[in-house]
Amino acid sequence: MPYHLFKCSECIPERKKHAVIKGHGETLADALPLGYLNTIPGTISERGCAYCGAKHVIGTPMKDVIHMSHGPVGCTYDTWQTKRYISDNDNFQLKYTYATDMKEKHIVFGAEKLLKQNIIEAFRAFPNIKRMTIYQTCASALIGDDINAVAQEVMEEMPGVDIFVCNSPGFGGPSQSGGHHKINIAWIKQKVGTVEPKITSDYVINYVGEYNIQGDQEVMLDYFKRMGIQVLSSFTGNGSYDDLRAMHRAHLNVLECARSAEYICNELRVKYGTPRLDIDGFGFEPLAASLRKVGLFFGIEDRAQAIIAEETARWKPELDWYKERLKGKKVCLWPGGSKLWHWAHAIHEEMGVEVVSVYTKFGHQGDMEKGISRCEEGALAIDDPNELEGLEAMEMLKPDIIFTGKRPGEVAKKIRVPYLNAHAYHNGPWKGFEGWVRFARDIYNAIYSPLHQLSYLDISKDEIPTDKGFLTQRMLSDANLSEEIVSSSNLREYTGKYDIISDLRGKTYPDFPAPKQLSAV
Amino acid sequence: MTEDLMKERIAQLVDYIMKKCLWQFHSRAWDRERQNAGILTKTMQILCEEPVENQTPADRCYWVDAVCLADGFRQKYPWLDSMDKAEIKILMQGLKDRIDFLTITGSLNEELTVPLY
Ligand code: SF4
Repeated sequence: MPYHLFKCSECIPERKKHAVIKGHGETLADALPLGYLNTIPGTISERGCAYCGAKHVIGTPMKDVIHMSHGPVGCTYDTWQTKRYISDNDNFQLKYTYATDMKEKHIVFGAEKLLKQNIIEAFRAFPNIKRMTIYQTCASALIGDDINAVAQEVMEEMPGVDIFVCNSPGFGGPSQSGGHHKINIAWIKQKVGTVEPKITSDYVINYVGEYNIQGDQEVMLDYFKRMGIQVLSSFTGNGSYDDLRAMHRAHLNVLECARSAEYICNELRVKYGTPRLDIDGFGFEPLAASLRKVGLFFGIEDRAQAIIAEETARWKPELDWYKERLKGKKVCLWPGGSKLWHWAHAIHEEMGVEVVSVYTKFGHQGDMEKGISRCEEGALAIDDPNELEGLEAMEMLKPDIIFTGKRPGEVAKKIRVPYLNAHAYHNGPWKGFEGWVRFARDIYNAIYSPLHQLSYLDISKDEIPTDKGFLTQRMLSDANLSEEIVSSSNLREYTGKYDIISDLRGKTYPDFPAPKQLSAV
Repeated sequence: MTEDLMKERIAQLVDYIMKKCLWQFHSRAWDRERQNAGILTKTMQILCEEPVENQTPADRCYWVDAVCLADGFRQKYPWLDSMDKAEIKILMQGLKDRIDFLTITGSLNEELTVPLY
């Protein structure tokens, strides 16, 4: 039977349809976990709310904006800084969090006055910031405060400021995913088309569904700029509010995360005729294919090929050093929504690990289709898992490492499984050629941490060896490798810098001679 | 070519697409139909050295995926070189039927027919 009911969930039989083991010869037409449904009462889900999805995943990476929550302070505070989406304006959007601090009396008497006062106060406190997004929460939605009207009033009173209202209260969907969609559609409807950009290249794209986790967006932007492509806007990592109002002028929408952001591209396609091209910045082969596709689209494939050749020559020997040492290691790939399919095949092919399980907290069935397709047979796929199921799966599969969020990650540590933070990364960026090597290095460091090895010993019953001195990662990882690999002069450990993003910010790019005009774009 | 061999080759191409591509999994059935038809038709045309329409933005998007797919197929499956154009057409039609089944007609994804996002 392909569907899998966890022992711990026998008392919640509906859970059975949410887990599948990929069997021999079976296809997506035989079994597919349910997805994007309300969490079943009694199962302790790891999901976030739709407000959190809208604000903390999609909205807040926008860098030059005051992000104001209209609700109790807990909504914003408890979800603040859960992701490391940095920006090149000194991380303004990460450093502060704002809330109107609704209390019981506002629930009774309304909080519109309070909201207005907070908006004005915030703009005065940061006179250089003229843009704001207001996020509805459960409390302000339930009492029916008219946030749009208040925002309009302030915009009339304070010329020069612009406010975007996102009505995505916590209960507005089964998970954070509902919030992703709400804010995408709201942005298209309210803001796109309200600013005219300066076009400086014949090749103009929006980079959509990219959140600049530890600098991912800046790494990818570097490739695009080296190809002479103008990136009109980034939705939303390191993205600027006004640039994103001008999305309608791009020639192509390059879509990175088709979970959080595909609807924005679909809407832009319908409304403005801008085509959508899905790409994948993780892994040498997928990234090379992605750059090539963007190059082909604009008739500048040679520029893409030059970058691919240069980057591959520089970084492949380092990736392969790790691959030799990670071969056969078992991974549970347990991210939020899209990385199960971004990574499942690429880490297997390029780092040699075995993906024994994939899960998604808030993905839709489409994400499971992609994820399951990209795993090998025998993998266990779980939708919206609860903590006990996670524990049972780890006991059953005995992974060497899991990639997941902080909460399930800490649970894994308790049973001595090392984890990497799939949402915020450890030593990212992980996108790009060099980034992919940094990911491999983080996996290696986690699996072969000598400190972690000590945790396998239980001082209450195990004998503690006293004849061993210290251990290093190399001693552990190279113990069973052939001499040829250990002393190979073709392979080497990561040689990049600690911080690879600062240099990109000051970089200048070549001017390309006038390109041939494409009639299509 | 025997039917079994043709089936086995189609299965290999399906596996390639499922492991390496994303275009077959757009979120709605109508979109998947367009994607599968657009990209696999152009891939067949490239493999059969027929002219390929790539001037409109939409065609261009299908075409770039088709170019990469055709290259990937040729690289990974040398047996393609030994097939004549008529055989390649049968192969690619079989591939499209199978991908349509797995991603649309046989798909268990309940969201495929949801009218709104
Ligand atoms: S569920 Fe509602 S109250 Fe809770 S954090 Fe989300 S918006 Fe705030």
